[in-house]
Amino acid sequence: MSRNSKQWTQKPNLPSTHYADPKIYSDPAIFEEEKEKIFKKVWMLAAHESEVANPHDFRTYEHPGGTRLVIMRGEDMKIRTFYNICPHRGNLLVYEPSGNAKKLVCIFHQWAFDAKGDCVDIPRGKAGYQDRICESDVGLREVKTEVGYGGFVWVNLDDSCAPLSAHIGSALDYMMPELETEPLEVLWYYQATLRTNFKLIHDTNQEFYHDYLHYHNRITGMLDPKSGYFQRKYTAFPNGHASVGSMNVSYDAYTGSGHSTLGWPKLPPNGWKLVDLFPCITYNLRTSVLRIDSYIPLGPDRVLLEFRILGLKSDTPEVRKQREKDAATIWSPFGRNLHEDLLASSGQGMAMARGSDPMYVLHAREEDNLIHDEVGMRHYLEEWSAWMGRSSSDSTRKIADSKPQATAPAHQEKDVAQPA
Amino acid sequence: MNTDRTTVEELVYQTCTALDRNDYSEFLGLCDQQFEYKVTAFSPEIRKDMTWLDHNRAEMEELFHTLPKHNSDHAPLTRNAVVYKVSYDNDKKQANVVTALQIFRTNLDGGATQVFAVGKYYDTVSLDHDKPILVKRHVKLDTRDLGWGNHIPI
Repeated sequence: MSRNSKQWTQKPNLPSTHYADPKIYSDPAIFEEEKEKIFKKVWMLAAHESEVANPHDFRTYEHPGGTRLVIMRGEDMKIRTFYNICPHRGNLLVYEPSGNAKKLVCIFHQWAFDAKGDCVDIPRGKAGYQDRICESDVGLREVKTEVGYGGFVWVNLDDSCAPLSAHIGSALDYMMPELETEPLEVLWYYQATLRTNFKLIHDTNQEFYHDYLHYHNRITGMLDPKSGYFQRKYTAFPNGHASVGSMNVSYDAYTGSGHSTLGWPKLPPNGWKLVDLFPCITYNLRTSVLRIDSYIPLGPDRVLLEFRILGLKSDTPEVRKQREKDAATIWSPFGRNLHEDLLASSGQGMAMARGSDPMYVLHAREEDNLIHDEVGMRHYLEEWSAWMGRSSSDSTRKIADSKPQATAPAHQEKDVAQPA
Repeated sequence: MNTDRTTVEELVYQTCTALDRNDYSEFLGLCDQQFEYKVTAFSPEIRKDMTWLDHNRAEMEELFHTLPKHNSDHAPLTRNAVVYKVSYDNDKKQANVVTALQIFRTNLDGGATQVFAVGKYYDTVSLDHDKPILVKRHVKLDTRDLGWGNHIPI
């Protein structure tokens, strides 16, 4: 039966944890609040150490808090991160996304900075500033940086934040053997700019009910009783993270996939592990390739998606070629699954755009935390609500003061099954 | 060996119009039995070449075969190609062809057109037959942000 206006916008007869207020996906004020309360406080995955492999290598990152950053490896091999801004007149220090430079030199007036962020040259400094400003007064703004969980470079704009390990907790424990056995290397980096809300695209990694969207996943998993697809369980971790248990992907069922028998150290053949991290990062290890998603919200209805495809640093050219081929089947911009995921998330963004009168969004499937349960999204929005201090099911309702991460209480792990 | 540049150019343009019309059988009819197809892009971010599709003829046929089973963007793509250079390898009876490529996407709803991608075709064409045949196509993309992407080879 179709619904009239009143019926359409009324709250579902479900617990408030089981639906979301559509305004959280489109309201500009809520987006600005997310930047202040979440993105300027939380650890974000900015790069991989292989992108700055050598001393003086640098790499830029457009932080979702709104600040442009530059990541640089020093002669001491330590990786540091700075605001990508010259402290003189506010120009970009680095224009190119990567490179190698002994000094970062601003093109505007040639102020120069070393890999520790120290200002090392102000042209005609004494003549212009006398003793009022000297090089030691105008160093770069350094940002908290840690490297870990597979060699990724994590940054946090909040100087008083808790360590990265406090944020990740045990969420990545079940993938750590695969992440830490050998050094990794980024094979692909690409972006996709979409007109949707970042939480909607992150949802596609947090629920697998949408495998009805993917012919590839239906044929290689859902429809094969031997795959273990319906036995995959969600585990919810403190701080809004969740993982999905492994399965055996039946690649042979998809003709023409060209998928190899190449595997990944410590991962069972054709295995698949996935961990979603709050607020918008996903580790996705599928058979022979690790995919990392890290999203950069640009507005309430616009997001820049960063995708990294990784192999092993020790890979021969032939093995690397095969990993790329395996990844291309499903995850390249021409791959079978990625296009479908991005189409669906964009469709949500269009349909629920500001002013479109959308309904409450259901997150209500309960299947004992098995693969089509929507516990992952519910757990995520519970954390979102805690950070934002407002209910995700009624965005006008304040629930408590938002919590800076440094003082975030340790949540109890949810009583759900451990990953297989 | 037929070194008539016009026939080589016409082959390149015909592959474009066949793909524009999603006429995959016509496209494959222009390709050799040993056809190889690859899409790559160079990432200035990681300073590496990335291979986003790498298929032989059988894999291309399967790709086309499974397309209807997938959920895809059905907005038409229009390829604008300009053959820049044709060089001949007399020993191999082949031509190496460099073609500038722009691909436009036209919305089904409303008909607005936007650039989808720019790049180049690097084609190897066999001239050892009555008519030129595409042996190898390497698409080198300049565009890397392809939005929601696409299922159809470009």
